[in-house]
Amino acid sequence: MAAVLVHIDLDGDHAHPSSLAALAAGRLVASSWGATLYAAVIARDTVDGRSPDSTTHALTTSQVPGFEKLQPQLARAGADKIVVALSDVPVSPLWASVGVAWQGVLDHLRPRLVLFGADAPSAAEVAPRTGAKIGARLLVRGRPLGLEDVELRDRDGGYVRAQDSGAAVVLVGAAPDQPDGDDDIDVIVLALPGGGDDRVEVAATQPLASADSCGALIVVGDDVAADAAVLADIAALAGALDAKVVGSRAAAASVTGADALERGSALAPELCVQVGATNLDVAGATTLVRVGAGGKMVDAAVPGPTAEIIGELVGKLAPPRGRP
Amino acid sequence: MTEDLEGVTTPWRPPDKRPVAVWLGSQAPMRSIRWLDGALAAAAKLGAANAIAAGEPGWLDLAADRASRAQIACIGVATELQLDYLGWAQIAAAVVRQVGASTILVDEGSRPDRFAEVAALAELLDAAQLTHVVTLVPDGKVLLAGRAAGRELHSVRVRGPAVLGVRIPGPPVDEYPTPMPSAALRRIDLAALGLDPVVLAHRALAPRAKQPPRGTVDQLADLLAVHVAPRRREDT
Repeated sequence: MAAVLVHIDLDGDHAHPSSLAALAAGRLVASSWGATLYAAVIARDTVDGRSPDSTTHALTTSQVPGFEKLQPQLARAGADKIVVALSDVPVSPLWASVGVAWQGVLDHLRPRLVLFGADAPSAAEVAPRTGAKIGARLLVRGRPLGLEDVELRDRDGGYVRAQDSGAAVVLVGAAPDQPDGDDDIDVIVLALPGGGDDRVEVAATQPLASADSCGALIVVGDDVAADAAVLADIAALAGALDAKVVGSRAAAASVTGADALERGSALAPELCVQVGATNLDVAGATTLVRVGAGGKMVDAAVPGPTAEIIGELVGKLAPPRGRP
Repeated sequence: MTEDLEGVTTPWRPPDKRPVAVWLGSQAPMRSIRWLDGALAAAAKLGAANAIAAGEPGWLDLAADRASRAQIACIGVATELQLDYLGWAQIAAAVVRQVGASTILVDEGSRPDRFAEVAALAELLDAAQLTHVVTLVPDGKVLLAGRAAGRELHSVRVRGPAVLGVRIPGPPVDEYPTPMPSAALRRIDLAALGLDPVVLAHRALAPRAKQPPRGTVDQLADLLAVHVAPRRREDT
């Protein structure tokens, strides 16, 4: 039976919400394709000196702090089986740290489809390297579509279907919640020592001093900064997208918690929603959309009355409880 | 054999070996060339470098023009192939092997699909990888890289052969002259790299229907739906 594998990033002792979205997408696909859905977690092994063929230590999840919370979470989210890969180096969202252990999981399962949460911390590092390892096609921000014959489709028309040949790696952008699965679930524990790539060493971690490279940004235009209704909708949209709000000094001054950026600052977020007109350089955004303004070379632009457009947009994207 | 701009044919010789390479990709920047300029400037700080580009001739001319402004030699692989991340990485890796580079920068900021080529290139070269690098400073044999990760900045030391995806802007450029074909561009064909276009075509991108411009709220909401942050389930 084919394997659908979902990489689970951890957020404390819980699965990262974006990884759970990938697991939900995986549940839909695996059920449709008749595949087994594996959720794989990489954790630090607390037993020193273990070898792959070690028989001196029983392989259990007792070495994984918080696993008693994680296991039911992954089971309810739809996993058929959980794979815990025990690494002998500290886990970080870098290929250099988790690559050896993750390679072990790939070798063990030989999956046909590997899913990552698009916003999960290790997605940018591990997903494309996984694709390169197994020669897979790569889809970015895909989502499941269809009822009986479920496929994964990205915004540019790329797709992964049951009858495709070859493997695929998909960074999942969205998926509907799935009904609770069964708490009784098989757990496979793999000891995968081998160290990390010592050519890459994380020396320190600190908050980004500037918001210009963070995941999602909403840029407040100078022309809408005095409109309280627009600013309320921007706050709601920021909540829905988990976005940072930025603007020029004048615009940012009118928005609680917004970062002020210098004129001409170069922004390179994953997503940039520009509301109104701005003199910030947003060309480095991976996905760029404009609200209340037109433009070329953008992924979407809806010109017209800004207040109406963003109000309608928030109504579609942000559930009422998310609004201030 | 290679043919220069005047049509003079000369025996092919390999490009100059340099320790640093910067992969500029297979298409011109989507919106701005300041990220391309930034990647070139970052490479120039690390030592003698070759810029590498592949694709159609107009793009190669632009790449060579911007590289020459950064005082970096440029190697162009002309091809009409439309490949996925692994296909382009095979071409880039072949050139990197020719020039003997051990530090390879990838211009991640110019196009959204470029980040995947960092990992593919690292895999093919058996090199360390680091994506989303926003600052890069050489310190002897070590590179000190700042990596943007969500709302955090990782300070990372990188040693030895490595592929780094950089998102470092150059200065703002409002307009730039249309580049002309340049003799400074070192052209290489696939055969000289030991690559067979028929084999590479296995990594061809499947033809995709052209997406209509998204100009309605419904279309915008549909686009943004895959960016909505998943909520933590109540039972977790």
